[in-house]
Amino acid sequence: MSQPCRAVIIFCKVNGIDYEEIKVHISKGQHLTPEFAEINPMKQLPAIADGRFKLFESHAILIYLACAFPGVADHWYPADVFKRSKIHSVLDWHHSNLRRGAAPYVFNTTIAPILGRPLNPQVAAEAEIILSSSLSKLESFWLKGNGRFLLGGNQPSIADLSLVCELMQLEVLDEKDRTRLLGPHKKVQQWIENTRNATSPHFDEVHRVIMLAKERQQHQRLKAAKNEGGSNMKRPLVSRM
Amino acid sequence: MKLKVYADRLSQPVRAVIIFCEVNGIEYEEIKVDLANREHLTPEFSEINPMQQLPAIVHGTFKLFESHAILIYLASSFPGVADHWYPDDVYKRSKIHSVLDWHHSNLRRGPITIVQNSILAPVFRRPLNPEAVAEGEKILSAALSKIESFWLDDNRPFLLGENQPSIADLSLVCDIMQVKLVGETDWNRLLGPYKKVQQWIENTRNATNPHFDELHKVLKELKEKLQN
Repeated sequence: MSQPCRAVIIFCKVNGIDYEEIKVHISKGQHLTPEFAEINPMKQLPAIADGRFKLFESHAILIYLACAFPGVADHWYPADVFKRSKIHSVLDWHHSNLRRGAAPYVFNTTIAPILGRPLNPQVAAEAEIILSSSLSKLESFWLKGNGRFLLGGNQPSIADLSLVCELMQLEVLDEKDRTRLLGPHKKVQQWIENTRNATSPHFDEVHRVIMLAKERQQHQRLKAAKNEGGSNMKRPLVSRM
Repeated sequence: MKLKVYADRLSQPVRAVIIFCEVNGIEYEEIKVDLANREHLTPEFSEINPMQQLPAIVHGTFKLFESHAILIYLASSFPGVADHWYPDDVYKRSKIHSVLDWHHSNLRRGPITIVQNSILAPVFRRPLNPEAVAEGEKILSAALSKIESFWLDDNRPFLLGENQPSIADLSLVCDIMQVKLVGETDWNRLLGPYKKVQQWIENTRNATNPHFDELHKVLKELKEKLQN
């Protein structure tokens, strides 16, 4: 369910990097155990261990994998210093912008109860402002020009993978909210599709968990709506006579 | 093709970039973009950086923003930059990326929340907000605690158990220095519990002086101006 975990796993699959996936269930608090703290004292996912080398923070992990494993095509993390710098730039921007908007917005409108936490509409409202602004900046600046990917590229980089995985979290939202947020941004929608196609079939495989969560959420919303409608009908008609 | 650095020394990441240039003998032209006068919001500056933030650089036709990306670009593109700033070794380099990324979501928001809601509030035409300051202090303390217990090794002077500074030391220390604006009493209260952090700040200062002190003069001057 973690956006940056999905980016790392898709990257490994697409590039034929052999790996062992060790599940750490956030919903069960497994990331808070002393065992996991040995792997990552920040108690966050993803984290990797490659022999004795441990690493956390998904952007650092993606860069490490791109550099350390042979056979990873150059477009993922180009050797050219100018292209590489631009990738660093958008990855850094992501932290304080798209991630800072998308993650708390989705959490505080939808996901929190799954983890036994309350929804926080105020945080959600503040996060929505940051999310909308970030989507606008993606549409008008990062996706400027005729390239199919960020920074005018015609092939995906680790930046595309990281940011698109973040946006896929919006799938669990109420459809009307998702449409309201993404609807105005045609280039963003096309870019999500381009990234999905470029990393097929792994993208859909890894996002199955999100699509299942989306179905469950839709089911619950329908149920809640029916119950509301049902109870209205059950209210007795009071005679005025 | 001289490097242009769009700067306001009040900004922590700007200071990190300029100190890096000075220490490594990188020739640059500093172009002042006055944050207090909202010059970063002008259409002219938006041409340089549409995110309207500092620092930004222009090197020939190449434009770049986000200070970590800039520091990495400078370390990679200019000859004579010693390896310890951004090592070639993939393991050391990855750890530097890790702490720089951690910084974004952990340390960075602390000092900026404190100062922008207290001493710098009038400069940026915002109301004082003691609640936000308290929140900023919590964020800062949590981050300093992690630096003290994890990022700093017991016996080594710099982050990640290193004997010489990297771009990560410069970036994080410049951010913490912003807290000097709230005065020595609060600085001592906030930094007091963290002995390794205090030593590390001093180590970074010594490794990059006289440029470190020169660049941080702006904080002393601003504090005096605001108190009078």
